Formats: sequence, C-alpha cells, structure tokens
Amino acid sequence: MDNKINSSPVEKEKITMPEMLTVSPSPHVKSPETTTTLMVDVLIALSPAIIWGVVVFGWRAAMHVLLSVAAAVGAEALYEKLMKKPITVRDCSAAVTGVLIAMNVPVSVPLWMPVVGSVFAIVVVKQLFGGIGKNFVNPALSARVFMLSWAGDMTRFTAAGDRINSLLPALGEADVVSSATPLAALKTGALPSESFLDMFLGRQGGCIGEVSAVLLLVGAVYLLIRKVITWHIPVAYIGTVAVLTFIFSRNGMFSWEFMLYELLAGGLMLGAFFMATDYSTSPVSPKGRIIYGIGCGAITVLIRFFGTYPEGVSFSILIMNLLVWYIDKFAKPRRFGGKTSGK
Amino acid sequence: MALTFRGGIHVEENKNTSRMRIEPMSDPDVVSIPMAQHIGAPAQPLVKKGDRVLIGQKIGEVPEGALGCPVHSSVSGIVTDISKKITPSGAKVEYITIENDHKNERTEDNKPIGKKLSEATPEEIIELVREAGISGMGGAAFPTYAKMKSAIGKADTLIVNCAECEPFITVNHRLLLEKPTDVINGVKVMIRALGVKQAFIAVEDNKQDAVKLMEKYAEKTSMISVKVVKTKYPQGDERQLIYALTRKEVPVGKLPADVGCVIFNPETCAAVYNAYSTGHPLRARIVTVDGDCIRRPKNLLVPLGTSISDLISYCGGLVKTPKKIVIGGPMMGVAQWDASMPVTKSTSAVLVFSEKFDRKKVEHPECIHCGRCVNNCPMHIMPMYIAQFSMKNDLASAEEYGAMCCVECGSCSYNCPAGVDIVQHIRVVKAAIKNEKSRLAAQEKK
Repeated sequence: MDNKINSSPVEKEKITMPEMLTVSPSPHVKSPETTTTLMVDVLIALSPAIIWGVVVFGWRAAMHVLLSVAAAVGAEALYEKLMKKPITVRDCSAAVTGVLIAMNVPVSVPLWMPVVGSVFAIVVVKQLFGGIGKNFVNPALSARVFMLSWAGDMTRFTAAGDRINSLLPALGEADVVSSATPLAALKTGALPSESFLDMFLGRQGGCIGEVSAVLLLVGAVYLLIRKVITWHIPVAYIGTVAVLTFIFSRNGMFSWEFMLYELLAGGLMLGAFFMATDYSTSPVSPKGRIIYGIGCGAITVLIRFFGTYPEGVSFSILIMNLLVWYIDKFAKPRRFGGKTSGK
Repeated sequence: MALTFRGGIHVEENKNTSRMRIEPMSDPDVVSIPMAQHIGAPAQPLVKKGDRVLIGQKIGEVPEGALGCPVHSSVSGIVTDISKKITPSGAKVEYITIENDHKNERTEDNKPIGKKLSEATPEEIIELVREAGISGMGGAAFPTYAKMKSAIGKADTLIVNCAECEPFITVNHRLLLEKPTDVINGVKVMIRALGVKQAFIAVEDNKQDAVKLMEKYAEKTSMISVKVVKTKYPQGDERQLIYALTRKEVPVGKLPADVGCVIFNPETCAAVYNAYSTGHPLRARIVTVDGDCIRRPKNLLVPLGTSISDLISYCGGLVKTPKKIVIGGPMMGVAQWDASMPVTKSTSAVLVFSEKFDRKKVEHPECIHCGRCVNNCPMHIMPMYIAQFSMKNDLASAEEYGAMCCVECGSCSYNCPAGVDIVQHIRVVKAAIKNEKSRLAAQEKK
C-alpha cells in the first residue's frame, strides 16, 4: 500500500491512505430512498383519511388503528424473533398493513377483531411465505376477507357522524345504529340518498378509512408526486369501473349518475390507490400494471352487479394478485432494440 | 425540449469541478505505463531495462494484425523496470516503469501527415490514428483506428459523445470550453476519414456554456451541428444517445454502425486532431480529481502512467480518511485496491470517497417488487427478475428475460429502495451464461 501521500503543511494531522481500501462493484452511490422511506410516505398519505375516520366515527376508530398497528408490528417482531430471522419491523411495512386493516373495518366491530386480522395478515399471509416482497396476496385484504367470517360484525355499518367514543372492548349490538351504505342502496338498483358532495367529502356510511374520496385522493396525489406509486394501476382500475358502470348502469345504460355513485361508494378509492398498488402483489411493468388494473376493475364490477355481496374491491384485488407472476411474465416491456414484446 | 430516451435516473450531479480550468500537472518523477490501456491484445515491450526513452517514443507494439494500440512513453528518462502488474480494470499485464529525467526531450519519429485534409486518404488518417496509439477516452477504451475502419461504408452519422452523464466528471465539459477548435478540427478529420454525411456534437443541457460555444464554432460548417440532450443518466450510453439523436434503436446484439452511427468521445477527437496536425501520439489526458476526501478538486492534464497517489498529492492531499478510490465515475467506475494505480488512456476521473459518501451496504436486502428497476432500465428489461434468476443460478430464465441486453449502467442498483445490488447479480449471471455457451461450443467441437 502506498502511504507516501502528503497532505498540505497547514494540516496538523497528516491523513494517510488507510491500510485497506474498500473494493466493491459499481455503482458506488445510491439514492437516499429506502423501503422505510417509501412505507413512511404511504403512512403519511393515508393519514388524512384516517383523521377523517376518527372525526366521523369517533375515538373508537383511532383505537382500532392503534391496536391494529401494534398487533401487526408486534406479530412481525415476535415471529421473526422466534424464527431467528432478522427483525424487519423498522421498514414500517407491518405498520402499513396494520393501518390498512383498521381502515377496512366498520367502526363498530369488537376491538379484538382487527387485532386478530393483523396477526393473521402478518404471520399467515406475509411471514409464512418469506416476509416482505415474498407474499403473493395482499396481507391487509386477506385479513379483511378472513374477518368477513364474522359477517354480522363486518357488515354492520354506522352512518358518518354517529360517533362511537366508547373505548371499551365489549360493545353491545344495541349501542349501534346500523345504517345502509350507499353500496347497499345501489345493490337494490336505486340511487343512494346521499348527495354526490356528501360522498365525495366523506359523509357516508362505510369502513373507517374508505368514506372520504377527496382525502384519499389527496393522499394519492402525494404518493404520485413522491413517485411512490405510478398512475397505471389506479387509472386503469378506476377507469375500467367508470366505463363499465357507465355503459351497463344499474337502471339501464349510460347513466352518469349511477357511474359517479359507483366510483365514490365503497372501497374503490382506497383499494385502487392504496391496496392494488401494493408492491409485492402487483406487476412491475407499465403494461402489466394496466392489464392488472383493468382486471381489478372488471372483477369489481362483476361482483358488485352479480355477487351476493355488495362490494367487490377486496375480492377483485385478491384474485388479480394471484395472476401477477403471469402478468409480469407475459407483459414484459418491449426490449430496447428488440422487435416484439420481451424479445 | 431536450432530446432523450425512455428510462434512466437522476443522480446528484456533483459537478464540483466544472469551473476548474484544466491544469497541466507538473512532470511526475516516475511513470508506470501498462501495455494494455485498450480493449484487445496487450502490446509487447519494445525497450529493455536501462534504455533511455524520449517523449512520444513507441515503447510497446501489438502483434501484427491483432486488435490493439501501440503504447508510447509519456516522459523522457530511463526504463527502470519491466514487470507484470494488475491494471485498474483488473487484468495482469506488463508495465514499463520510467524514471523521469525532467529533460522533456521529444523523439523526432513522430511526423504530421503534412498534407491538406482534402488530400489525405482515409487509409493514411487511420494509420496515423493507429500509430498515435489512440483508443476511446470515454471509458471503454476501444482502439479508435479499429472503430473507424469498421464504420467506413456503414456509418453516415458521426456522434461526438459529450453527454458526460456520470456525476463528478467534468473533463469533456472543460475540453469543450477550453479547446473547442481541437474538438471541431478532430471531428473534421474524422468526417474526412469516415466519409460520413453529418456529425452531431451531443451535449447535456447542464452544460449550456459549452453548447453555446460549440454552436458558434459549428456554425462555420454545414456538416457539424450541436444537439442538446437531457441531463439524465445514462444519457452517454451510446445506444441511448443514438436513440435520443436519431430515434433509431440499435438492435439487440448489434453495433451502432448497424444503424449508421459511429460514436467518439470529444477527447478522442482532440487526440486525433493532435496526431494529425503534429504527429504526436497520445501521451497525456485530462482527469477530474474529486471526491469528499480531496482537499482541492481539480481538472488535470496528466502524463499517462502517473500514479493516482501523485494526483492526490498534487490536489493538496486528503482531508478525510478514504474508504474507496474509484477510477471513472461513481456509477460505472472501478474501485481500486491500491493508490499506486496509473492513469491510463481511459481514466476520466479519480474519485476518493470517505465512509460518509460511500454506498451503505444493506445486510439482508429483500426485493419488495416495487418495479423501480424495471421502469428505470434504459434497456427496458426486468432487472430484478434477472437478479433473482441469477441468485438461483437459473441461466435459461435469466437469458429469456434479457440478461445479455444489460449494459451494466447500474441505474437499477442506484434506485433500489431495498438495497439489492441488482446489477452485480446480473453481471454474475451474464458471465455464467457466457461461460456456459463457450463450454457448450467447446463440447460440440469435440
């Protein structure tokens, strides 16, 4: 090693070459973006909708979020500790899952339910398949579907503004005034009683985090500006729902009114921007993302129109999750200098 | 709108030396000149230990007919050692070590072509370029005469690649500002030799002063025009640059000449002009010395064979303890294990980074399937899938997903939030695929 390098005389302490230099492959620089910064961005983007959920559904909504996040993070840490794997809770992905689960339940569910859902999401759906990036279905949505086994609790929605501030674990059914959601009204083929503006702003019944389209859009714009997500999946998804519900409106054909209600009701905004765009369970190429978005949209409409359950967002995304590997394989980008797709 | 391509990334530019004039470095006491500073066969030494050599004297020549460039002495002095050592790019070749006698005597062997450009034949010019030992000075170091030969009759467009998309490096920028006529005249010599119809000087839009200056000089000739390309990495990759300027994609497995283009670095052009006008071979080049450990970052004109530790001393030494020395840019440059490495024909920068600057290693990187590498890849392949196949040693799938198209620009690794070193996994699988193919070919022969 050459140690002859002189530093200038003004420097009191002479800095010499170290004994060993690091030799590693290029690139030698890296963007500051990490998995953690991306997940924190998602949490920031979700926060307006969560705050709105607390405003219209009461303190119990905040309690659900806290418990659910604690359960998700705790389950991940505990599992990894027991399995002697590196603890990865600092990447905040478990926290995102916990938040999404709480946003996907009605406020009146027992407090233990999102906790059970979070543990299921993290342990069964995520960790048993190898942890972050390895799960092939969306953990939060799987948990939601898992929790639907308590169908009564999971489909009892309170109206916006009917706040539940009681933090007690037990909540008698009598305490809750259940109300029909706009989606349930649509299911019967009638227009909901809420105005467009009510639904856009979030004055409708539903799950904690899904009611305010405008605040979810604010978060979505943040994610797009920060380049956490690309436009392909949400635009293809919402666009497909819009086109299909416009052409085949529930009261005949070509009804703007029905189409707009379909877009603003239920979990479409939350699903399209925050669930369908989950990295592990969505395709990577722009082309693949558009195919996937269209698939999600079509299945959502089919379930809403022909299924027994009024909402189809969760199921549609889970079904498309299963196809991601094939979409990635067959929707390879056209190679630079190549003739056809993937060649 | 500046011309560009789809994909690529934005890297912090760090062009700290863009206002530093090119400073001729004082003569080093010793130079150590490797016999292979180019792609192809290494040169064989023509001198013995104890010989006195002069500036510009040919001290190494490649075997007749082989691809490669002759090597010349960059100083006058005595040959003190000839031995095999490792080059900055990792090969082991003969080095000729010369002790400088500081007399700066030039050999009389090198003569200019002595003809008007319109009278010089392409063969004469190409032979002159070969004799001058010029190889690509952008980094790949392909022998220039060979590239010229292969382009004749195929290429109608000459592109001068002044994109300089790597962070830190400002050698082309300074060259355009300080020696614009050398570059323009070099381009004219090239146009004459290659018989091309037009020449583009491609400059990234972060070098507006160079753009304006070159436009002024290019105005005088109808064949040369200046093209402004977007500041984006890897804009200077030849395939991406050709696409930005001509909208033509070089087909997979083909060369730029197959779409009628030939690309040279501006410093290569200036070296060609220097050889044409004076007969002098390539003996020095411009090097950016920068990085957070360097006291006074500079652009230096350095005699070939000078050790990088001499460069560091000349720039005022170190202000922090180095962790890494990189020859070339931070995106594609090669980390060195020894500060005694020489400056070669393709050394555009010497960057000395401390712990703070260096890329942090992630202990357990897990791909999160975010798709950033796919959307940033200038070759439009799916880097993270190829990396996964590489880890499983699944060569067939890696090839199916386009591993061999990878230009190893490192955009994928740079932007990977999970910290997976994607491009390195791809390099590994590319090498494995090549080995496997040559093994199969050898088997077939038997």
